[in-house]
Amino acid sequence: MNELIKHARELLESGEVAAVIGYRQVSAKRTKPVIITDPEETSALVFNEYCLNNLAVYLTKARIKLLCKKNDKVLKLAITAKPCDVHSIVALIQENQIDRDTIHIISFNCHGVAKDFGFDFNGDNLASKCITCETHKPLYYDKLFGEVMETPQASDTAIARIKEIESMPHNERFEFFKGEFDKCIKCYACRAVCPLCYCQRCITDKTIPCWIETSSHQRGNFAWNVIRAFHLSGRCTGCGECDRACPADIPLSLINRKMSMEAKNLFSFVSGRSLETPTLVGSYNEKDNDELFM
Amino acid sequence: MDEKIISRDDLLKICQDVIEKGNTLLTPGAADYSVVKDVSKIDLDASALPSKISYKSYVFPRTEPVLYYKRSKNDVQLIDVNIDSKKIVILGAKPCDANSLNIMKHLFNWDYSDDFFNMRAKNFIVIGLMCSQFDEYCFCTSVGSSPVSEKGSDIFLIPLDANTYALKIITDKGKEFISPYNGHLKSGDENRSKRITENVKLPETAFDSSEVYEWLGENFESPKWEGVGNLCLSCAQCAFVCPVCHCFDIMDEDYSYTEGRRMKNWDGCQFGNFTLHASGHNPRDIQSKRYRQRVNHKFRYYVNKFGEILCTGCGRCSRGCPVSIDIKEIVSNCKNDQKELK
Repeated sequence: MNELIKHARELLESGEVAAVIGYRQVSAKRTKPVIITDPEETSALVFNEYCLNNLAVYLTKARIKLLCKKNDKVLKLAITAKPCDVHSIVALIQENQIDRDTIHIISFNCHGVAKDFGFDFNGDNLASKCITCETHKPLYYDKLFGEVMETPQASDTAIARIKEIESMPHNERFEFFKGEFDKCIKCYACRAVCPLCYCQRCITDKTIPCWIETSSHQRGNFAWNVIRAFHLSGRCTGCGECDRACPADIPLSLINRKMSMEAKNLFSFVSGRSLETPTLVGSYNEKDNDELFM
Repeated sequence: MDEKIISRDDLLKICQDVIEKGNTLLTPGAADYSVVKDVSKIDLDASALPSKISYKSYVFPRTEPVLYYKRSKNDVQLIDVNIDSKKIVILGAKPCDANSLNIMKHLFNWDYSDDFFNMRAKNFIVIGLMCSQFDEYCFCTSVGSSPVSEKGSDIFLIPLDANTYALKIITDKGKEFISPYNGHLKSGDENRSKRITENVKLPETAFDSSEVYEWLGENFESPKWEGVGNLCLSCAQCAFVCPVCHCFDIMDEDYSYTEGRRMKNWDGCQFGNFTLHASGHNPRDIQSKRYRQRVNHKFRYYVNKFGEILCTGCGRCSRGCPVSIDIKEIVSNCKNDQKELK
């Protein structure tokens, strides 16, 4: 931890970065995001199994970009990111939302995080995304910390659930999603925490004409959750933040994971894994699978 | 105060009767207050934390039609909505939830009497249950309530042992509700329940709400709002899980060129669109102004207008905040110059 604090302090003191986005501890099993511009405050920085937030969401915020403007100069922004959060950063760079040169990535060798705040960190309470994680070391970084440690063993219950839902007859599957989406209260926390939901004006905010009914009834809830799944298809990096943020406990990551599986099966594409590969929806290849065309 | 004793079995018999008469019975769970179909599954747990979502949607639904319309060439016909006003009994309401309708009713009867809210509130029976649990986010004692507060309950239960409750009849509505079941009640001993309520551990008082009120009046332009404004991601989780947040938006939904309905939908002050004017101007254009509004509305504006704090101290907004913004911490730190709001 001291190394992290020392590094962040040096970055701020040297004027290389305008701010460090990181985590601070609020209780034994909970951290929260912190945006630091004063080198004195870097002592609050931590990295551990309770650093659940995907801080990449802050990178596209106008107010954070504004922090980097110092007398005509644009300074870098430092971000502490788990290897999976780096996927989100890569996706944002690939979609031209941020510039790699303006971001200083502080990452860690990661052995997983807890599924939510307040839980002991062990195999039973491992975050779903960590169970199948293949990136314990970040793919891109400017500074790497943390020891290499074993991830607790856990079974992939999410994939079992996806297979179960896939095997349901259409009407049963529809009933399942009806039940889940019925719980949606349209607080849009899923959208707010998603690094890839960066649209300045979301389609649900366009009300003249109203494409997605704002009402939180069955039709409106289906419209919202389905449009979000479509808009994230081939883009979602699987950070699972929407799942964690949902106050109604809708298993949103099952939907996003299923869509990612489709992208992988049809186009051998996994979002946020390479700075060299163009985005799925932003590129075209004659050999692309065209089974999806009607 | 009229205090009785009731056994758990007798309480469940009353619940069974409530359901058989076609009324709705709600009890709190971890996620939500939900409709009870099988009384044997009722688990009245005084040591449970507040459910993730409050029960306000049963009186102020997240979406509902307020009128239907039909358009013809030269005319618009408006059709009224029949308000569903079934009796709803909430069994085991947390004291921090029980007072929510009393706080919200000021708004819904301010410059206009909202039939939708009033009709439902009238048919609400709130059976409160003493609370014996709090976590780091609870702060009911800082906003004038407590885990043993009877405020807002029509009937209040205090667990005496695993199978017995002291039952206090608080309001006339409560008296009327319980009178058909008087046979199930035995006379109680106030001292016995008092010994229990007096020994309940209370969450420490985190702030003095009158000092917060003063600070807010003098610090509208405080740079302190910037910290929390940078952190907040502008969702409405806090407003939608809140037992007393009551803002709504009116939207027309057309079924066709000639027919449609006007909807009243929950809205949240942290959304950028909330104050966006038709002109394109937005008086709360940045997040720090929106968060400032949330705190001011709860701890100053509502007090000015209706004499009550628009907060019950349940801590739901903080417990569920995706970026762990803790309103108790924000409000406690606002008047401390050494501490930032974030």
